Amino acid sequence: MQKRVFLAIIIVLLLLVGLLPVFSMLVNSLGLDSHFSFVAYEGVLTSRHQWVLMGHSMALSSIVTVFAVAVGVPLGILFGKTDFPFRSFFMFLFAIPLLIPPYITAVSWFDLLGREGLLAPFMGPQLTAAAGRFLFGLPGSALVLFSTFLSIPMILTMVFLKAVNPRLEEAGLLASGWRGVLKGITIPLILPGILLSAILVFLLSFGEFGVPNFLRYDVFPVESFTQFSAFYNFKAATAAAVPLAALTLAILAGEVWFLRKKGSQLRPSPDAATAFPIPLGKYRRLMFSSATVLGLVLVVLPFSVLVIQSAGIKNYVEAFNRAGDSIVRSILYAASGAVLLTFIGFFTGYLIQTKAVKFWRTIDFITIFLFALPGTVIGIGLVSLWNRPWANLIYGTSAIIILGYLARYTALTSRICATRLSQIPPSMEEAAQVAGAGWFRRMILIVAPLARRSIFAAFIVGYIFSLRDTGITMLVYPAGHDTLPVRIFTLMANGSSRLIAALCIIMIAITIVPAAILWAISRPVAGKEMT
Amino acid sequence: MKKLIYVLVILCVVAAGIFLLSPPKTVAKKKTVVVYVSEDQVFSEPILKDFEKETGITVRAVYDTEEAKSTGSMNRLIAEKDNPQADVYWANEPIRAEVLKQKGISTPYFSPNAKDIPPMFKDKDGYWTGFSARARVLVVKKGVKEKPESIEAYVQPRWKGRAVIANPLFGTTTSEVAALFTKWGDEKGRAFMVALKQNKVAISTNNGESADFVAAGQYDFSLVDSDDAVNRIRQGKDIVMVYPDQGKDEIGCFIVPNATVLIKGARHPEAGRKLIDYLLSKKTEQKLAFADCAQIPLHPGVKLPPELNPISEIKAMPVDYAEVAAKLVEIQPFLKSWMGL
Repeated sequence: MQKRVFLAIIIVLLLLVGLLPVFSMLVNSLGLDSHFSFVAYEGVLTSRHQWVLMGHSMALSSIVTVFAVAVGVPLGILFGKTDFPFRSFFMFLFAIPLLIPPYITAVSWFDLLGREGLLAPFMGPQLTAAAGRFLFGLPGSALVLFSTFLSIPMILTMVFLKAVNPRLEEAGLLASGWRGVLKGITIPLILPGILLSAILVFLLSFGEFGVPNFLRYDVFPVESFTQFSAFYNFKAATAAAVPLAALTLAILAGEVWFLRKKGSQLRPSPDAATAFPIPLGKYRRLMFSSATVLGLVLVVLPFSVLVIQSAGIKNYVEAFNRAGDSIVRSILYAASGAVLLTFIGFFTGYLIQTKAVKFWRTIDFITIFLFALPGTVIGIGLVSLWNRPWANLIYGTSAIIILGYLARYTALTSRICATRLSQIPPSMEEAAQVAGAGWFRRMILIVAPLARRSIFAAFIVGYIFSLRDTGITMLVYPAGHDTLPVRIFTLMANGSSRLIAALCIIMIAITIVPAAILWAISRPVAGKEMT
Repeated sequence: MKKLIYVLVILCVVAAGIFLLSPPKTVAKKKTVVVYVSEDQVFSEPILKDFEKETGITVRAVYDTEEAKSTGSMNRLIAEKDNPQADVYWANEPIRAEVLKQKGISTPYFSPNAKDIPPMFKDKDGYWTGFSARARVLVVKKGVKEKPESIEAYVQPRWKGRAVIANPLFGTTTSEVAALFTKWGDEKGRAFMVALKQNKVAISTNNGESADFVAAGQYDFSLVDSDDAVNRIRQGKDIVMVYPDQGKDEIGCFIVPNATVLIKGARHPEAGRKLIDYLLSKKTEQKLAFADCAQIPLHPGVKLPPELNPISEIKAMPVDYAEVAAKLVEIQPFLKSWMGL
């Protein structure tokens, strides 16, 4: 009873916070002068050009996904399973681009390779022109998004590797080398995680508008954006977002079908913590050099532009003067958002994983659907739903920003928690139940402690994504209550590049430092988690 | 120790909850004004800070972002129509102010400080009032012989493949195209746009980028806002600024003033009016003229930096901005298909 009521509250909350605003937008998009009408959809679905844009988006997202998975999974194995040196450092290095809005990364690349970029004097006019041609278009957009999302498959691979029972690998080692074990045992076991990372990368790339727009590669979300920004036509903008939602649902259906066929064999083992790393032997130096070069090209090179441009105390003093209040707010909002995202995500993940309600798959669909929608659609939905005199306590305060985070990012925390929960044997909860423990007691004393690491991971991911959000925040923040990413964007219009660079460095710092502290705190807990 | 951590976490959550649900500090105070701003924050924020200092009225602002092509505020104002949060809208062009008037989001206000502003730059019904304008100018590469002096240069064979223009779906370029349609009529307007394509005019993402292309020598000229041109001239770039179509029989240069709008149902209408008066003052116009945005004052007798011509010396394209706004909506499908969307 406790379980049913509590999970029902979570579902209602999710529907109220996430689906209702979008639903009101959808209903609105189907109405014309109080009559049911598909007029808003006709232009979007019948235009040939839309399908060309859809093709562009598919091409961009597919390239980014293939490369991110092809490079991210080996990196994850390298950092999570081998005796590779300085693993934590490299993990952080590759995660940096994910911490800031990708639009800023695109600007960094432009400042590096553009006509007046840092490298232009060394490259000469011909090479600079060639670099410009590479940057502006599909290759440049793919490069920026690849470097941004590379860490998703890398981190998820590392997380899933922790759950592989080392006994299975040890048994495999009796008959084969590590290469055979990885190919035959480890990778098939972590396939759900790889698939999840591929879906996340694909959807994030597909919904991204800022980078392709800046690098002049027309993609499908441009239609939704244009309807908002050039025509102020919310109905058409919603209609233009519907194909994105349809594609999301199709991908999710594919995932369900694939995982149903494969099944998941991940279960914790009492001696999971004793798993020993793969010795790289003679390949250690080669791997280290390769990862270093990759890190230099993808992260150090573009971000060194920010460091060089922001050099000097004066720039940081100005940055704090102009955005100090936004920095404090950003941290507070992101931390509050992360707490709620972790809480809701944990229980949503639980109800999905344990199939606690008949329509658990629908709940999963809804969270991913909201994640895939453009932030502007959710933002406008939130405004149209909550901006009423009786709801000023929500709309007139920063609570509206937190609702936006919950609507958009619950999918992430839910999936992270669900994945870990799937590895906890149901017998543990059942044993407590037999001993007479109520549902809340079981959740607090059995399930949550076993999933502590993933709860920390969910919090960190929730914090990072809340902190870097601009799509929703810039549409709903109460006047005078902007966040740092929004302030960076508002100052980017004719603002000094030194100031912007300093703000970006601060943005990276306020993301990394709290996340690193939390990760460090969570480590001692992790050892106990699996036992 | 564990319990202490749990207690601390709970306290943090409660504190954050109280913080999040508490209305912004200044809401309770009487002297507050909420303004949505489309003018770039780097230029508008100092003006608003000065207003705060001089009047004691706290300004809470929502600024537009570069990423959203400066349309976030407009979208918010439209979405908030039934429960307005803003008192004043500082638009960076009058077309948006006209859209708000047409959608019933603004309310009339005749500021005493607007008396000297030429009638062309304010709404006759008082729904918006213009100030500090940008001129739509040609930015031309230094060293180009026989500089283009009319926007019709875009369609002259001489300049084939040598010119660039910002995406006409957004910003001041859209407004200017709509203005040309109102002056020339639809037939000539469409023919001009088709000829642009035939003359291989390049499309950039924004005016700033167009100016950069010309400054870098990639194109000979471009139609941009005067602030984009002045900005680059101050940076020492090899470009010159030409006010187009200044001849006797020519249509003149399209002027894009900022505009102040009082929002219908504003919660702080008195403070809103005070802010509008402040924005429409000569002092504000002078500050914006000497700032990097280099905007042209609409009041007579305001001091100017050397790069700018006074408005009285510029032959302005005589347009009715309401008509331009209506035309803009009308030609959007054409512009969309012209862009291949």
